[in-house]
Amino acid sequence: MQVALQQFKDWQVIKVTGQVDSKTVGDLRDFIDTQLQQGHPVALELTEVPFMSSAGLRTLLTLQRKTKDMGVDLALIGVAEEIADTMKVTGFYQFFTIYDSLELIPNS
Amino acid sequence: MEFERIDNLPTDTIAGFRVRPGKPLPFGVSSVPGGLNFSVYTSAGTSCTLVVYSRSEQVALGEIRVPDHYRIGDVYSIVVYGLDYEDVEYGFRIDGPFAPEEGHRFNVDNILMDPYARVLSGRDEWGVEPDWSKAYQYRSRVAFDDFDWEGDSPLEINDADLVVYEMHVRSFTQSDSSGVKFKGTYAGITEKIPYLKSLGINAVELMPIFEFDEFENSRIHPDTGERLYNYWGYSTVAFFAPKAGFAASGKFGMQVDEFKQLVKELHKAGIEVILDVVFNHTAEGNERGPSISFKGLDNKIYYMLTPDGYYFNFSGTGNTLNCNNPVVRNLVLDCLRYWASEYHIDGFRFDLASILGRDPWGAPLSNPPLLESLAFDPILSSCKLIAEAWDAGGLYQVGTFPAFGRWSEWNGKYRDTARKYLKGDEAQVGEMAQRVQGSPDLYEWNGRSPATSINFITCHDGFTLADLVSFNNKHNEANGENNCDGGDDNHSWNCGAEGWTEDIGVRSLRTRQSMNALSILMTSRGTPMLLMGDEFGRSQHGNNNAYCIDSPISWVDWTLLDNNKQLFDLTQALIHFRHKHPCLRVNSFSHSGGGGMPSCSFHGRTPWQVDWSAESRQLAWLMTCDDAAHGQMDAVYVATNMAHYATWFDLPGLPEGYSWSLCFNTGDSVSPHMNNPAPFNENGILVGERSVVIFNASPRET
Repeated sequence: MQVALQQFKDWQVIKVTGQVDSKTVGDLRDFIDTQLQQGHPVALELTEVPFMSSAGLRTLLTLQRKTKDMGVDLALIGVAEEIADTMKVTGFYQFFTIYDSLELIPNS
Repeated sequence: MEFERIDNLPTDTIAGFRVRPGKPLPFGVSSVPGGLNFSVYTSAGTSCTLVVYSRSEQVALGEIRVPDHYRIGDVYSIVVYGLDYEDVEYGFRIDGPFAPEEGHRFNVDNILMDPYARVLSGRDEWGVEPDWSKAYQYRSRVAFDDFDWEGDSPLEINDADLVVYEMHVRSFTQSDSSGVKFKGTYAGITEKIPYLKSLGINAVELMPIFEFDEFENSRIHPDTGERLYNYWGYSTVAFFAPKAGFAASGKFGMQVDEFKQLVKELHKAGIEVILDVVFNHTAEGNERGPSISFKGLDNKIYYMLTPDGYYFNFSGTGNTLNCNNPVVRNLVLDCLRYWASEYHIDGFRFDLASILGRDPWGAPLSNPPLLESLAFDPILSSCKLIAEAWDAGGLYQVGTFPAFGRWSEWNGKYRDTARKYLKGDEAQVGEMAQRVQGSPDLYEWNGRSPATSINFITCHDGFTLADLVSFNNKHNEANGENNCDGGDDNHSWNCGAEGWTEDIGVRSLRTRQSMNALSILMTSRGTPMLLMGDEFGRSQHGNNNAYCIDSPISWVDWTLLDNNKQLFDLTQALIHFRHKHPCLRVNSFSHSGGGGMPSCSFHGRTPWQVDWSAESRQLAWLMTCDDAAHGQMDAVYVATNMAHYATWFDLPGLPEGYSWSLCFNTGDSVSPHMNNPAPFNENGILVGERSVVIFNASPRET
């Protein structure tokens, strides 16, 4: 799994590539803890993520809490259907705003 | 200032793992800073080795022999550092004597599941045949107990106000006709919540959802070649773990979250969740069964054994859990507390609960400690405790179950009486009158209330309602036991033809009989329970024991909802009628009634006079109370005629200012329930053959 910070208009985009599971999720968590800046909305780009384990999904919730504390919007981008299904049946889905691509974020 | 704890650091290295002595409580696995605390009890074991795996791997990551000085009393506990919380699977090897005649069955070669395992892997997807060559089949895992409940808590609906709906998780939505995305799963039920809400029920009772193995005793039907399963799941593998095979997310190990999400969404819809729990026996069977956990941990403690070490079989399934041993009793308590607190479960229905009142040698106890502990437990204090008040060893305790003021009961006598009365059997009027008012003959003498009685006419065990009025005899050939399994005392009547028929007369009589049954059920005092699909005529084609069938026979066919719309509409209207009329839900045998009339009175063709003779097939009841919320009297009059001819009933008089309105008439095949009941100006009504009418008293318009 790789993580990179990108820019899309006003959004700071965390681009994740590869599987997010208990082995890799620590890197993502560290990234979130250290790389995010105040005052800009956050988009988590997951188009290149084929699978997320339970620990991965929990990190999404951590990020959701963190952006809420920061007072900025959070959007998930390009969530694979299987991941979205798992998020729906377990109740994670309802906590997020999800778009198919960055361009589809309203007013972006 | 904050102190950093100094007991968070490893003290030893064993097999390459950093470890330290653990804490004996809680049992099972718990999270501590930097590590996981494992704790397991064995009284007769002589050593304990913790075996840890990476998920799904056959070769262990390592085996950590727990040093003897890590043991306190009979409990081995150890903290292991650096394990991957999500990935790790674990089990125990326990050494000790193998001496079955003395009750010991230790085998150090065997890896045992943690009896407190909160997540299990190994049966992640329903119906996927396991690889039986694997040494360790049911693998303990670690649960994330961090669900976001968003302020949810158990609903605490009064017992008397409940309308319970019994369902099997898989059967409810597995059929394509269910129209849900996540068929046969917890999430599938979540998708059907709008339906449940519109029906009006306010509690679901889920058949077993603790981890069980559908492949236990699985076999191929000799004639049809179909696979038969342990489909209902009355055979627990892990008491603390929800069944992964019922979760759409089970293959990702997220069944815990999915089940919690179901509970949360049901609660949002005002629907309680009651679990059918099986503590009378386990999936380990008798001496020929597998050693999954208890057998190898402490056989003599967990099971009732004969003096020569064989298994007592009061459950009819091989073994009997030794529930009144203090250690086992605490396991049951810990388990229910966990489900109540961690999953927000509203109540429990105990399968073959009478077994829980037997002593370690099988004799019935007068004050069973387990039942008492459950009744007075601080965490379970608002949970419904419902007993199936009999067992397979001949103990039948409907009306005498040791209730400690807390337990309610599946009222098997309600079911039998209602069935007999419905089909017009002789000499049922007297007993039917008892059942309708909440069975005071069973529950008043010991200070219980009407809601002690869970009233039902059908449940998973036996015919569905549609089959009850379509079959005289069971037809269980699909079960592969030559139609020898299942009960023969069905008190059913096929209305003139066995099974499916084109005869319009028979069919309409069946529909009417179903409506009669539901009408009686929903106007009886006590807590009514409905079997899934009975509201639209679900059939199992005469199978009265579909415990092993995973096919359209046991799945709910949702096309029937359209085909039997009238029956559904009537059921829905009856449930709403019950919610609307507090007089039907009075929960006291000493209640004084309303409008100057008794709380519950019985009538016949003439008001206040009942023909109690054996030939009588007419009974009417009038229930009343003061409806303080609306500042008026609430009264409902129900007249039932189970004779094969129409019968005139004079209506009882009402206090000044009230008049009767006819709300239901099952004899009216066009509109059996009235959408806008108008004042009824006759002083009596001709109740059709085998029909039920229901009136309510409304204040007269002035």
